[in-house]
Amino acid sequence: MEIFIQQLVNSLSVASVTILIGIGITLIFGLAGIVNFAHGEFLMIGGMITWFLVTSGMNFFLALVGAMIFVGVLGFVAERGLFQFTLNRPMNGFIMSIGVSVILQHAVIRLFNEVQKTIPDPVGKVWVVGGVNVIAMRAVVVSLTAVVVAITYFGISRSRYGMALRASIADQETAELMGIPVRRYVTGVFVYGSVLAGLGGALMIALFPITPFTGSVLIIRGFAVSLIGGLGNVAGAVAGGLILGLVDGLSAGYGFPEWTDAYSLVVMIAILILRPQGLLGGTLGPRAT
Amino acid sequence: MMSPRPSRQEIVAAVVVLVFLVSFPWLNPGYRYLSLAITTGITSIALYGLGIQFGQAGIMSVGHAAFIGIGAYTAAILAGRLGVGFWLALPCSTLLSAVFAGLIGLPSLRVGGQHYIIITFCFCALFDLALTNGGTFTGAATGLDVGSIDPIFGLNFDQLRNSYYLVVVMLLICLLATYLMMNSSYGRTLRAIRENEPLARAVGINTALHKIGALMVSGAFAGTAGILQAYYLRHISPGLYGPFPSLYLALMVMLGGARLLYGPLAGAIIVSFLPEILKLDPIDSRIAYGIGLLVVILLLPGGVSSGLLEIYRWLMSGRRR
Repeated sequence: MEIFIQQLVNSLSVASVTILIGIGITLIFGLAGIVNFAHGEFLMIGGMITWFLVTSGMNFFLALVGAMIFVGVLGFVAERGLFQFTLNRPMNGFIMSIGVSVILQHAVIRLFNEVQKTIPDPVGKVWVVGGVNVIAMRAVVVSLTAVVVAITYFGISRSRYGMALRASIADQETAELMGIPVRRYVTGVFVYGSVLAGLGGALMIALFPITPFTGSVLIIRGFAVSLIGGLGNVAGAVAGGLILGLVDGLSAGYGFPEWTDAYSLVVMIAILILRPQGLLGGTLGPRAT
Repeated sequence: MMSPRPSRQEIVAAVVVLVFLVSFPWLNPGYRYLSLAITTGITSIALYGLGIQFGQAGIMSVGHAAFIGIGAYTAAILAGRLGVGFWLALPCSTLLSAVFAGLIGLPSLRVGGQHYIIITFCFCALFDLALTNGGTFTGAATGLDVGSIDPIFGLNFDQLRNSYYLVVVMLLICLLATYLMMNSSYGRTLRAIRENEPLARAVGINTALHKIGALMVSGAFAGTAGILQAYYLRHISPGLYGPFPSLYLALMVMLGGARLLYGPLAGAIIVSFLPEILKLDPIDSRIAYGIGLLVVILLLPGGVSSGLLEIYRWLMSGRRR
């Protein structure tokens, strides 16, 4: 039983990173209508920036903010420079994002190298709660994610900006006539999702080593999470992230570890075929062309 | 619209491409360029499949390497377990890849656009995992070894030039098949589905049948490419057929242009030869490749081939004035 709880706690922190990338994708895909295959690379770059800043002597939490800002700027540049031109042809945007992902991945290899990077545990404490060892950093990761999820959820469902955003998805023309700057909202959502990827990367490198190839592994889990929950649905992304995180954590402990990656793929294929709108419902994403 | 009889330009283009492909080994390219030409030819065969399914039927896939893998592994397993040689395995690889492509295409009837693309990516990742975890049957992560192609008509395929011609013959068959498909009523049916699927269904086209048909043709091309690759490389491993090679295939076909006859060939040649000619190392060439793709999508959404065609038309119209 203690081993089970241990696994549960560990998978919760893994799920946190997955949820962060999943929320980014669900917002960008479901609300801004852009399929960004480079989102995983954004996360990886967030991790690399954190590694770079921490190894040059900066405090981890400052480095985390630095990574968020850097990836946010990266997202801004990508949206303004590239994706805004393909909003009417989402398929071209999708292919272009694959190109961006190739460029970013190899640019990181060129700048640093392809060896995996780690940083020392920034908190470095272990709490014992009822016979279960909880690494303090993992608790920090989980609680930071919870805060981000709460802000995003209430921001979209309650604030007037969230309402304007949902209005521009529901009916772009009417929203524009009501004075909502739809294009600016698209950029805003893209940058916000990118900032979350930066945060996810920074938190991830505090827990696990990161290589330049991490992003391409994570992106498919990000898509899985957002599609399981329903595009544009923050609560759905959280549910999806928890499901995947638990399945992974438990399969590593009890199932067939070599097939760990297969579970999320199978779940995703099944959901895409049976319920393309996701378990909790969401937009269908950009009009399929 | 396209005429059923080839126009003069089409014949000229065909002769130029044919002469170039046949005469390439006589230009004294050396071992390195000749072997690069062989892998380029093999890639183009697979790309023509992708060209039909994306360029004609409008169904993109980022899991195409899996079908190449099915062709390659079919050949390797048939050779290793049953001692079946290249010529007998060729139809098996082609057929099996086509069948798998049809099966994996079934979800495309239900979900479209990006959702289906993500499904193909997942299937490809699953295929990679299955190969890696397949034990001795698939040779796990190390892969399988393949012998050489049995001589036929006294041609020994251990010679690089003869393998080149084998690939060129296969490539020409694929080109011809693509040309015939594009100019037949079948091609028009596929394009009707691409442009407006509900309308195509409304005028009585069995869209489901034709979509799966196009995907199966595409899979057959990929299977042919797979067996050629297995026998050319002599060793295959799961890494060749995972999601990332698939992404590169999709990028190549976009770079060259999927809708025109010579687009996929142009994409394969550009991607394989340009880094070699410019002497870029693999990392820089990947970066250049990505940047080239962005430029093409933003400025020439039809790919390099349609860009060239437009320049040609512009030149011709200028001369007439």
